[in-house]
Amino acid sequence: MLPQRMKQAITDNPKKLANLIDLVNLPSTLREFVGQSQISRLGCFMRVWSYIKTNNLQDPNNKNMVNCDEKLRSILLGKRQVELVELPALIKLHFPKEPK
Amino acid sequence: MGKVPPSLRSAISTSLMKKQSSLVPASLQSHLVNPIYFPRNTPRKLHPNVPRKPRRIPNRPFSNPPTSWMPRSSSIPSSSTTKAPLDLRFHNSLLQSFASISTVLDSISFLRHMMMSHPSFSPDRSTYHILLAQSCSAPDPTLASVHQTLNLMLTNGFSPDKFTTDIAVRSLCLADRMEHAVELVKELSSKSSKPDTYTYNFLVKHLCKSRDLSMVYGFVDDMRDSFDLKPDLVTYTILIDNVCNTKNLREAMRLVGVLNEEGFKPDCFVYNTIMKGYCVLSRGHEAIGVYNKMKEEGLEPDLITYNTLIFGLSKSGRVKQARKFLGIMTEKGHFPDAVTYTSLMNGMCREGDALGALALLGEMEARGCSPNSCTYSTLLQGLCKSRLLEKANELYGVIKSEDLKLETAAYATFVRALCREGRVAEAYEVFDYAVESKSLTDVTAYTTLESTLKWLKKAKEQGHAI
Repeated sequence: MLPQRMKQAITDNPKKLANLIDLVNLPSTLREFVGQSQISRLGCFMRVWSYIKTNNLQDPNNKNMVNCDEKLRSILLGKRQVELVELPALIKLHFPKEPK
Repeated sequence: MGKVPPSLRSAISTSLMKKQSSLVPASLQSHLVNPIYFPRNTPRKLHPNVPRKPRRIPNRPFSNPPTSWMPRSSSIPSSSTTKAPLDLRFHNSLLQSFASISTVLDSISFLRHMMMSHPSFSPDRSTYHILLAQSCSAPDPTLASVHQTLNLMLTNGFSPDKFTTDIAVRSLCLADRMEHAVELVKELSSKSSKPDTYTYNFLVKHLCKSRDLSMVYGFVDDMRDSFDLKPDLVTYTILIDNVCNTKNLREAMRLVGVLNEEGFKPDCFVYNTIMKGYCVLSRGHEAIGVYNKMKEEGLEPDLITYNTLIFGLSKSGRVKQARKFLGIMTEKGHFPDAVTYTSLMNGMCREGDALGALALLGEMEARGCSPNSCTYSTLLQGLCKSRLLEKANELYGVIKSEDLKLETAAYATFVRALCREGRVAEAYEVFDYAVESKSLTDVTAYTTLESTLKWLKKAKEQGHAI
């Protein structure tokens, strides 16, 4: 079962949870988009997803695709279109693992 | 705090707190503080502002749900204060508020100060109980401050009674000072007052929860040997429940034997507890054995018994028998509730008969039993597992329209099923609903979504069809 395994993963590995919810100093591109200098990865995902929703950026023919506008393009590797599937991965790129 | 008039509040929280150290003698303090904050006629003026409700006690365990062995004593302090003169009640609630933000020593000097400045105020037992509760709930490596309060009580002519013991034990238990609670109970038992059965059982229950079994048995034996305080049926039920929860059913059976030897006749509650033990371990056969034993003993199974049984049978894959018991319980005049149906649906879904479970939902609603979020979550998960995504989607619509919560497992399964079909946007929408309805924490909802998407991407790359 997925959720139990996940719960285990979280309790086993608090670091994983930490890099999801810890506030991180943002690079300038992201700072412009988010409007604040620090945000967590989770918060950033929520921000981007709600930005997509409020601006109706999902492709009307295929809801699984997002047509990026200028602003979104600046933080998602300059792509014209991204799939919703890769959204978390794209956002994760802005939050590199901290060097040990 | 809320009940103290604003003028006093600032006095207590700022100046009094900071200035009043226990090093300053009480007389000097009263001298300092008295003219400013407590003019002679204050109480009379304040009376209209004082709420007449019985005082509320934070950190006291009386918010516990009243079960059969919960104490009558919970009503004692409030009933005694309603009879007490207003003066006493006012001072008590003031002391209570003060105690919630200060140290024990400060509270004691505050009480002394009140007694000196208002000779008409004579503290009674409940006043000292406030101090006692405070000293018990403060984290403290020793029992010194508790002893201090008890001594103070004694010198003022109140010897500890069973309510004193009860309050001390409950406060200590809630502060997770179990060893101290045991020590204090033994001490009080040898000196003045034995705990009553409610206190005793409360302590045993908490010991079971947070300490190991040998300590509990040690305590029970000590109390029996030294103070002639024997465990009763409730104590045994607590013990049996505890060993069942730790899956130690052999010990549970031994306890049932002891129970019989001691001359107690196991009641419905004991049997339900044992049955639960078997059911959680998916041992349906033994659960039915317990049911038959109840019948032999002439005990009438209640709703809980049937619910437990149906839950256990469904869990151990004996759905047919579970259905039979649903029939039996209705015949006996019990009304199956949401728990009954949900357990049964769970069993059916496990067998892969999600459509049957869906039909049961119809039957349930026809009988006037309204499903809860757990029922829907079970069904949603079952439908997804049987790859009936359209039905699942319909059901999700119902959940949404009724504003019900999704459970973690159901949410994860549903998101996964949607993604598998390539309906990622809908999965995002479910994610939004889960967050909005506060079914799950943001973190859980997001981690599930993220890992599902990761899995999907990998599957795509490896060339599996979506």
